[in-house]
Amino acid sequence: MQLTRSKLFAASCTLLGVPAVHADQSDWSADSALTYYHESDGRITAVEPVVKLKGGFGNERTLDVKLTYDSLSGATPNGAIPSTRTQTFASPSGTSLNPVVQTYTTASGQSISERSTVYSIAPGQLPMDPNYSDQRFAINANWQQPLSRLTHLSVGGDLSYEHDFLSTSLNTTLSHDFNQKNTTLSLAVNGEYDSVQPIGGAPVAGSDYSRFQKNGDESKLDVNVMLGLTQIMTRRWIADVNISSDRMTGYLNDPYKIISIVDDTGNVTGYLYEKRPQSRTRNSIFWENHIALDDSTISTSVRHMTDNWGIHSDTLQLNWRLFNGDHDGYIEPQLRWYRQSAANFYVPWLSNNISYVDAASADSRLGALHALTFGLKYAFKTRGDFDSPSKGNEYAIRAEFYQQTPDQKMPGPGVLQGLNLYPGLKAFLIQFEWKFSN
Amino acid sequence: MKANARSSGSVPAGLRIEKRSDGLLAGRFFAMGSPCEILVADDNRRRVHTLIQLAAEEAWRIEKKYSRYRDDSIITIINRNAGEAMDVDAETAKLLDFAAQCHELSDGLFDITSGALRRVWTFDGSDRIPSASAVNFILPLVGFDKIKWQAPQIMLPEGMELDLGGIGKEYAVDRVHELLAAQRSVPFLVNFGGDLRADRIAPTGAWQIGVERPGTDREAAMVLELEHGALATSGDARRFLLKDGVRYGHIIDPRTGWPVVDAPRSITVAASTCVEAGLLSTLAMLQGKNARQFLDEQQVRYWIID
Repeated sequence: MQLTRSKLFAASCTLLGVPAVHADQSDWSADSALTYYHESDGRITAVEPVVKLKGGFGNERTLDVKLTYDSLSGATPNGAIPSTRTQTFASPSGTSLNPVVQTYTTASGQSISERSTVYSIAPGQLPMDPNYSDQRFAINANWQQPLSRLTHLSVGGDLSYEHDFLSTSLNTTLSHDFNQKNTTLSLAVNGEYDSVQPIGGAPVAGSDYSRFQKNGDESKLDVNVMLGLTQIMTRRWIADVNISSDRMTGYLNDPYKIISIVDDTGNVTGYLYEKRPQSRTRNSIFWENHIALDDSTISTSVRHMTDNWGIHSDTLQLNWRLFNGDHDGYIEPQLRWYRQSAANFYVPWLSNNISYVDAASADSRLGALHALTFGLKYAFKTRGDFDSPSKGNEYAIRAEFYQQTPDQKMPGPGVLQGLNLYPGLKAFLIQFEWKFSN
Repeated sequence: MKANARSSGSVPAGLRIEKRSDGLLAGRFFAMGSPCEILVADDNRRRVHTLIQLAAEEAWRIEKKYSRYRDDSIITIINRNAGEAMDVDAETAKLLDFAAQCHELSDGLFDITSGALRRVWTFDGSDRIPSASAVNFILPLVGFDKIKWQAPQIMLPEGMELDLGGIGKEYAVDRVHELLAAQRSVPFLVNFGGDLRADRIAPTGAWQIGVERPGTDREAAMVLELEHGALATSGDARRFLLKDGVRYGHIIDPRTGWPVVDAPRSITVAASTCVEAGLLSTLAMLQGKNARQFLDEQQVRYWIID
């Protein structure tokens, strides 16, 4: 008999007004989002369109593909502290303004000319590279399929490209259901390899900023293992717990971050490239609950993270989704609180009395800080037409306000005492999402 | 005690809503000659009423439009107009296109014109087997390929008749599923007389589906678990003829005009849509003793009771 299931499948899809792809069998749905992120004080502005495609291939086999493009521009702190004098820096990422050609010798003795941009920072201002501009393209693909009725496998990979950074990763997750599918245990392994390719080469960690000691490209490796447990507690309560461990090795520095060297009177006498340890081990535990009430759902989560750099952090999150009477729309207030302790090599500046540092970074993201995020999301669903009533689209808009506050504000020596060395960060984000199911 | 005034008090005639012991709300009504049930994993009666009312109205709409037992159905009108060309609406055109494709895909095994054979075959449990000449007399009136069909125009040769009984109930299940899925995101199960479709798994776990043992009354022969997708069952549970020890099931091979012998008592097939599941189980039944082989070739999950 010439009947083939796929033909019958296509015919029934036509009958039911569904394109020849279907929710349980082989369907594609598209999800897209546009995010606008803006930091105060002329810092980073980012625009990020994302397209997510989800395809079904029957028998619960699905492929997710996500394409991301980021365009970032603005000013980014270079790690140096404000000073009472004008400070001048060379930006390796610069392409306009005042390009100058500088020649320097690499650690291996090679002579390299670099086109860079010089920028000056007025007294009292936080040194920021004003020429920051980057574009990122990323593709992420993930395949899921059952191995048996109770066991599922997911395999995926990421590729992310910036002009000075290339990241590749592979991941796999194995999950198994027990206890009449009320319990799911999963094990995930992720391996990431990054190539750090700053313009002009990666600076030698801890080297003098004025001596342009640079190597070629550098790399780092990150291996993550996660063990997760999902439990249906009651009809209205699902809980998730996972523990995760990360091991990073290689060039973990930010190649554009420097540290001010300051004498006892508060004068800046020079700068060093930052120097982070060459490995980092990070462990975290995460607990999340989803509770369904009659006309709302509440999600809460707690994460505690600790690493061997001395950073301990806690995150608390609360999302409360309130549905309208017909359940085709909701408003969701979101609240997130974050706190971290400083890395043990975090220093806002270095004293010129110190001749050798084992590890040091003035990157404020490694300092003690706390942050609050307030968000509000509104989403609604449209209904399909007579021919395909379930084919409605979903739209959402989300706004978020973020405020980061440094927690340890060691006063600077001498003339630095009157300056604000720890400016903190405010940012907002607006995101639009569209979901088309096909 | 009098109908303990339900909160909304607006349940239409013919609809019943009950809370099951497992906490699911069940809406029940009767349509297309079958008991119909919608199970909803939601305990807000007001919302469930809206869903079940929508479901029943859609089932009744399809029944009214396509039942060959109703004088005003489009099927009756087409049959009455045999010999003349007439135009049909878009939904009917889709169903006819589907029937045409299935007829072709199945090499003529699936045929919505086989209803004419009912004039000689009555499956009432008796031993009244028609004569070969009676069957041969009717056979020229069977065959979808004899119909002139080009959407939206159909012309049925005189004496022929259409019957969408073979896909109507499954189509209704899928339509109702689509309609309810569009309304909200609670899990639900649509069950029209054993042809069913689930949206997704309920918080209480997979949907438990009892498949009757043919020949018994309401005794579940097996219990299947369904998470999402559709199940349809073909069988000769109650409709058959028995003569000289041969059991003639109600499924007739439209090419020969004779019921299929040695077919399993019941075949349940899982597929993504109920229409597809129903068609596969019917076609498998038509394969007689080769049903298993056919289903294996189609790579579907199935359950057979011999």
